[in-house]
Formats: sequence, C-alpha cells, structure tokens
Amino acid sequence: MGALANLILAMAVGAALLLPMLWWPMQLGGASGQSQQVPFLGGGSQSAHAWQRFHIRYYPMTLLFIAFEMEMMFMYPWAVVYVETGIKALAEMGMFLSILGVGIVYAWREGVFRWQ
Amino acid sequence: MAVRALAWLAERSATPVYIACGQDGDAMAARLAQVPAISLQHSIRHAAILLVAGPYRDADRPALRRLHDQLPHPRATVWWGAVPLAEAQDAVTIAQGDHPVARLRRLDRNLLRGERASEPDWLPDEPPNEWRGKGDHGQGGEGMMGGVPYGRPMAMMGEEMRDALMLDAMTITIGPFLRTLPPGLSLELTLQGDVIQQARVVTPAYPASGGASEPLLRAARMLESLGLPDLARRAQISAMRDSAEGLLAAARRCGALLALPAELADVRARLEAALRGGTAPDPGEEWLVDRLAGMEWQSALLRIASFDPATLAQIAPAAEPDEDEEDGDEKERAA
Repeated sequence: MGALANLILAMAVGAALLLPMLWWPMQLGGASGQSQQVPFLGGGSQSAHAWQRFHIRYYPMTLLFIAFEMEMMFMYPWAVVYVETGIKALAEMGMFLSILGVGIVYAWREGVFRWQ
Repeated sequence: MAVRALAWLAERSATPVYIACGQDGDAMAARLAQVPAISLQHSIRHAAILLVAGPYRDADRPALRRLHDQLPHPRATVWWGAVPLAEAQDAVTIAQGDHPVARLRRLDRNLLRGERASEPDWLPDEPPNEWRGKGDHGQGGEGMMGGVPYGRPMAMMGEEMRDALMLDAMTITIGPFLRTLPPGLSLELTLQGDVIQQARVVTPAYPASGGASEPLLRAARMLESLGLPDLARRAQISAMRDSAEGLLAAARRCGALLALPAELADVRARLEAALRGGTAPDPGEEWLVDRLAGMEWQSALLRIASFDPATLAQIAPAAEPDEDEEDGDEKERAA
C-alpha cells in the first residue's frame, strides 16, 4: 500500500512539474508561427532545404582512434598474464604492435593526420 | 508568481536589442555600445526590440519584414532615423540625432509588464513557399534526393572543391541586416558543409558616408567575428571618441592579429591598418565573389568584414540577375 501511495505521489509531483511546461508555450500565442520557424539569416532566406549530407572530415582519424583504443583493451589482459608467460607474451605483443605500426605508417602516408 | 518574478528580474537586466543597420547604422550602433543598460544581440531570436537604425533602401523592405517576424514575443520595433514601414502600427520613432536609450528601456519595461501589446506579424502566417510535393510529406517521389517539398528543392549533390567528394550543396541568402557583414550587403552563398562553393552579391553594401570613425567601426566588426567582443566594444567606443590610441597594442596583447592564419595575411594587414585608424591599400581588381570561392565560413566572414566601403563598392557591386530569371520575367510580362 505504501509503495502505491509513493507511486501516486511521484506521478502527481511529475504532473505538477510537467503540465506548466506544456501549458507555458500555449500562452505565448503565435510564437510558433511560420515566420518564427525560419532560420535567422539576417533578413535573408534559404532556397534549399537544410536536410543535407556533408562530410565529417575527422572521420578517418576517428576510425584510427577507435582501432588503437581497442588495442589498449587487449593490452590489459596481456599485462595480467605477462609475468607467468614470459618472453613468449612479449614476442606476441611485439608482432601485434608491429602490424598496427604498419597501419600507422600507411595512414600517415595517406595524410590522415593532416587536419583539414 | 514565478512569471512575475521573472518579469521583475528581466526589467532589471539589460534590454536585449537587435540593431538592423541602415545607412550609417554602424556609427549609431557604436553610440549604444557604451551603454551598459542596452545589450546588442547577434541574433534576432535573443532580442526583444528590433531597432532599425538609419535610412534603408526599398530593396531591403522584404528582409526587414522577415527579420521582424522572427523576433520572439513580446516584441516591439523602434525606428531610429528611419521611416516606419506601412505595416508598423503605433510606431515608435526617434530622430537620428537623439539618443534612444531612455525610450528603449521604457519600451522594454512596458512590454514585460504587459502594458504594451506585443506586435503582430507583418507577413501572413503561411509557409514562405507553397506546398508542391507529390507524396503525403511532400517528398516528391524521388526518395531523399530531389523533390520540392514546400516549393524549395532538396539539397543536391555537387562537386566538392577540396577533395572532389560529391556531397550536398545548400544555397542561402544572408544579410542585408546580418551584424557580422557590412551594413546593407546581402550575399547568396552556395555552401558545402562550411566551404563556400559559389557566391553572388544580391544587394551591395551601403555607400561610405566618409566618417573618420569608419576604420575603427570596421575593426570592431572584425574583432567581433574573431570572438573578442570586449575589444570590439573598446574599438566602438574609440570610434566615438575619434581616438585609436592604445587599441593596436591591446589587440596585439589579445593575440587578435596572430589569430589570423597566414592565408588571411591580407585580412591581418587590413585589421592592423584599421586599428591604427587608417585603410590598407587594396588593388581591388578581383571581384569579392571570386575571392570568397573555396573559403571556409569563418575566414570568409572575416575577409568580407575587412574591406573598406570604397573597395567594397568597387569589388562587390550588385550582380546582374541570372539569364533564366530574366527570361522568366519576360515570359511573365508577355503573359
């Protein structure tokens, strides 16, 4: 019974907070007219819709970042078993890192790190 | 209760004003920059009062109407040295020589207390373009590509200047009352992301009035674009006092000149000259629209703001209307 009362109380408080937020814009009257929905361009207007695709130029750098972040994730369990596995673990991680290193060199050559 | 408390607080804060600069509007705006009770906004959506400063051209009337209707309620318009439009009822007019601060404060207070009614729209409450789509949502039947919902085309792909990626280009018109542009200048820009692909002058900037304070006002506009509003205000106040003393040193200390990259060396030279109260020579051979193609938005705004009125008049005259448009007009006349 106590839980139900708490629930009803929470809903009542929620409604008391939310209803004025819904009611408030209605009081402004005309605030959502067509002219108010047009973007501000200093008196100018747009002649095409704003729904468009454009290039995220940091995209290759983001991919590279995610790849190396995942590499760090692999290194945590490796660090745990490193002491008992010894030189074999070191060699395996060396191979893994050198393959990734080739990736960095390639990305560098392709100009991924040049900020556009 | 809460609303009354907000109104009480709002009355005591600075009056948010958007200034639409007509001829000599820049100098008039500088007079307001010294007043802490007035806060000049960069977007009409942040203002309560539209202040039309100085005479405007007939060609700017539609832009003024659009600008007014974007003001949030409660709102009012003040005509400072400008003739009110026919739509403006109960217009508040102030002579160009008078100082409008007291009137603006009173008007703001009356609006907040509800003693003055908010101004109605000047344009009819209908979409700026008519509904011309085929589908239920005006999609035009070609998926995301193409179609003309609400009479405006969807953005279509175009060649990218930097890396030839085919991505959407969007065409917009900015100005003539955008505060970051010289007053009166209106440009039609085709943008891909933030890169300007193509530009066209719709209306030229207002001609120079020959005031000695012009370079400092121009410097203030550039500093504002650089994100240094306090220094910009200082430049405006210096412009009113006709003294550029210490301004260049202050700009150097803020790193305003270093903030301009090497490819904007011409802008840096013009800013330096303007902060000294002079004008850097410009060969003025290349059209403004050609200088803007391929530039990023922020750099382009800085470059436009850096030209003095005489050079701007030379390199950015109003463009000839497109041949298609002319044909259309002739057909309309024939019909």
